[in-house]
Amino acid sequence: MRSLVRAAFSSLRLTLRTRVVSGWMYLNWLVFPLIFAAAGLFVLSTPGGSSSRLVYGVLGGGLIGYWSVAYIDGGNGIQDERWQGTLEQVFATPTPLWVIILGKVAGAILFGLLSFVPTAALGYFGFHAVLPQLDPSRFVISLGVLTFTFFCIAITLTPLFALWRWAFSMVNGFEIAVYVLCGFMFPVAILAPWAQGVAGVLAPTWAVRALYASTMAEGPHDLVAWWLVAVGLSLLYLCGAYFLYALVERRARVSGQLAWA
Amino acid sequence: MGVSRIASEVAVFARSTYFQYVALFQWASVRGYVAYKILLPVDQMLFFVELGAYATGPENAAYFALGNALQLTANAGIFGVIATVANERHFGTLPILLGSPANRLVTFMSRAVVNVLDGIVTVIIGFAIAIGLFGLDLHHANIPLLALCVVVVSLSTAGLGLMFGSIGLVMRDAIIVANVIYYVMLVLCGVNFPVSRLPGAVQLISYSLPLTRGVEAAREAVAGASFGQVAGLLGGELLVGLAWALAGYALFATLEGWARRGGMQEAY
Repeated sequence: MRSLVRAAFSSLRLTLRTRVVSGWMYLNWLVFPLIFAAAGLFVLSTPGGSSSRLVYGVLGGGLIGYWSVAYIDGGNGIQDERWQGTLEQVFATPTPLWVIILGKVAGAILFGLLSFVPTAALGYFGFHAVLPQLDPSRFVISLGVLTFTFFCIAITLTPLFALWRWAFSMVNGFEIAVYVLCGFMFPVAILAPWAQGVAGVLAPTWAVRALYASTMAEGPHDLVAWWLVAVGLSLLYLCGAYFLYALVERRARVSGQLAWA
Repeated sequence: MGVSRIASEVAVFARSTYFQYVALFQWASVRGYVAYKILLPVDQMLFFVELGAYATGPENAAYFALGNALQLTANAGIFGVIATVANERHFGTLPILLGSPANRLVTFMSRAVVNVLDGIVTVIIGFAIAIGLFGLDLHHANIPLLALCVVVVSLSTAGLGLMFGSIGLVMRDAIIVANVIYYVMLVLCGVNFPVSRLPGAVQLISYSLPLTRGVEAAREAVAGASFGQVAGLLGGELLVGLAWALAGYALFATLEGWARRGGMQEAY
């Protein structure tokens, strides 16, 4: 057990270190969410609109940055190994793949959390947007649940990126759709009914809903139920991930063609 | 002599365009094209149309759909052109390119051709989505003028792409810069809200970027404006794109000089 923890920690440390090698990498978590927050805040602060909508701009930009770093960069870790020619070594080590991925995703999530810093600063200094109705304890729990959902999705998606290199392109193509379906910058309730149905099976939708509810006085506040749905769905994803990791291991060891996938 | 020289340069331009398409057009696979040129544009439009409808009311959906459909030119003009120039370094072909006797301006400008055409195709896809899904009404639009706006915007964004592609020759993470430029245009170029809502100093940056005037002209064209009413905007858009392209070429030539003197074609 101790060796697994040490391996995961090494993977996390390596992920953090490679992320700061180039100063340009900071743009990913610093500027990208800031741009979306700025676009969102300008649109949401259109004269005549409700000021309570600004909370979607303040937190929405951070959520977008957080999601992008957590799942894109977490998943891209496996693509990087492939491009650098180290994918076979990763599989050949006695440490299970999921432990290495766990470290990578945890590193990405730590960086992703930083996305909230610039967007909150922009909201406060640029648009005088504050969160007067914020319930700190519920907010922190909701953020924790959201982190768990991102973590589980990243862990689940990563074997797909290992199995098929085109999977990353396709999932990347749906990146902004996730902003829509999970209600990162506006409520899911404004979407078409069929889209709300799709959104309902995505764990972050419920965590994001709880997160926004913890900053507002109006609207429903069934936070405990939403947290439970988010955690339950995330655990279901992990069950699926178990089979995917087994498939990756078999593909890597039996066919030996993983790097060509 | 003059005619044969022009013919020779045209041949270089055509060959360079063809080779950059077969070797450097990064979406030249069905899956890649579907993911980056269809799914991503649909997602982007969906996101901003829903955001705009939530903030300002569903009756304004077409405003956001039109702006984002035009901004899709930057997908090809920025990502495509930057990759086309900067990938010479990544693929190790830069020393060969610099060693060739071909006219630099001709080979440099040829980088944009396929991406300009691709940008036009992307906007057509964007308009189809805007009309089909978001109710963009073109009944009163001046369609030939709108088509001209699309061509001009595709050319001007490719000009900006050539500039940042040259910068990509000296840095490893050009794609990150491309990402930032692409999304900055969503904020600064009047795609989702009028440029007049930005602070004064930022508006100066907006008008020094491609797309700003093009989007304005296209909105006028959709409202039925004549060519004369938007000629100034389109002329300005073309000039901005040309200025960025020439600045990019000047940077490319400077970097080539440094590389030749120091023998550092792949090191800088």
